[in-house]
Amino acid sequence: MSNHDDFVRCHICEAVNQNDNANKICRRCHSHIYSDLKISYHKTLAFLITAIILYIPANIYPILITKQFGSSSESTIMGGIMHLWEAGSYPVALIILVASVFVPLLKFILLIYLLISAKYRGYSSRIDKHKLFYITEAIGPWSMVDVFVVIILSVLIHFSGIQIYPGAGATAFALMVFFTMISALSFDTRLITKRKKTKNLSHQGDSVHANT
Amino acid sequence: MIKEQELNNLIICKKCHTLHEKIPLHNKKKALCSKCNILLYQRDDKMIDKTLALVITAAISLIIAFEFTIITINIQGLEQSLTLGSLFNVIIEHKQYVVGLMFLFLIFIFPIAIISAMFLLLLLMKLKKGAYLTKRLLILLAHLRPWSMVDIFFISLLVAMVKLFDYAHIELGISFMAFIFTLILDIIITKNIGFNELWEMHTKIYGTIDE
Repeated sequence: MSNHDDFVRCHICEAVNQNDNANKICRRCHSHIYSDLKISYHKTLAFLITAIILYIPANIYPILITKQFGSSSESTIMGGIMHLWEAGSYPVALIILVASVFVPLLKFILLIYLLISAKYRGYSSRIDKHKLFYITEAIGPWSMVDVFVVIILSVLIHFSGIQIYPGAGATAFALMVFFTMISALSFDTRLITKRKKTKNLSHQGDSVHANT
Repeated sequence: MIKEQELNNLIICKKCHTLHEKIPLHNKKKALCSKCNILLYQRDDKMIDKTLALVITAAISLIIAFEFTIITINIQGLEQSLTLGSLFNVIIEHKQYVVGLMFLFLIFIFPIAIISAMFLLLLLMKLKKGAYLTKRLLILLAHLRPWSMVDIFFISLLVAMVKLFDYAHIELGISFMAFIFTLILDIIITKNIGFNELWEMHTKIYGTIDE
């Protein structure tokens, strides 16, 4: 009874369910947790591609527009980071760099890797892949930092002489974060545990007792 | 086919998806995952009462945080303050509707919805009423949880303040403190409450209900 593949965790109520394709709803919360794996795969892929496409305008278009006594200057994400770095505020530059450049890229790479390894058997163990997915979900919303900073600045610097306001890049960026989050949410963890019929992974151990 | 009872005795780690068999715990003890040491489940006989008190406090501080001034900046005599109202005014003025709408939901509507749903849920579970409603609330909370970004908003606020330090004199408002208080309470609540435990309590209080 204790092969890992036989059980699946409901993502709504966390109940352990039997992984048989007959049951399409969770036994405890009656949510639909067993959608078709193919649908989940393609949904994740579609949202991911949308996010990657949105990442391009998010970087090309200005995220911040400064209007100073009639003349306006625009700055993109990378431009803003460079400016901060040159001005000497290294910690803030690093926070923005990590949150708005590294985190989205890391999420794209992790999701692409997980999707590829669902089709072809990768080298990582199943536990590692589950951990990778956990990280993907946890870091997702943190890329919103840059958008929020721009909005806060646009509220605070709002005088008749000088004004800051969010540009088109901010909208693209916010939508990009939104779609990566939806992409991660529509990823079914059973894509990780899916067993290839030809290659039987029968050596997976018995259930482990919880240690207190 | 495995019986319900046997399935109830199993738990899967949320991080590494390792299957564990549950063992009964003493009060106030926690069970950790054997592979990645993350919290699996805990036993706290007074969980509902404790969390209810915390949720009420968090609700009050969230209302304060949304109601008053967060920070005020002063550049050579010119003053500008950040409140939730001025935020939406500026967003509408600049016609950034997509960002504004996301902001409205992520910072304002979802956190309030989570706190009020949590309050209603715990209150009903304490009174042992409303079997169907509590179940819907538990499902709603599971859907809402990833979408609250008050903590990220706060970090952004700090980043924005650091950016402005050179040019402006910054005064912290009442809401700034209320935000810190809300975030601390939020961390304690998430530590205290386990959704698996809540579902188990739900089954214990109301029995299994079928739709």
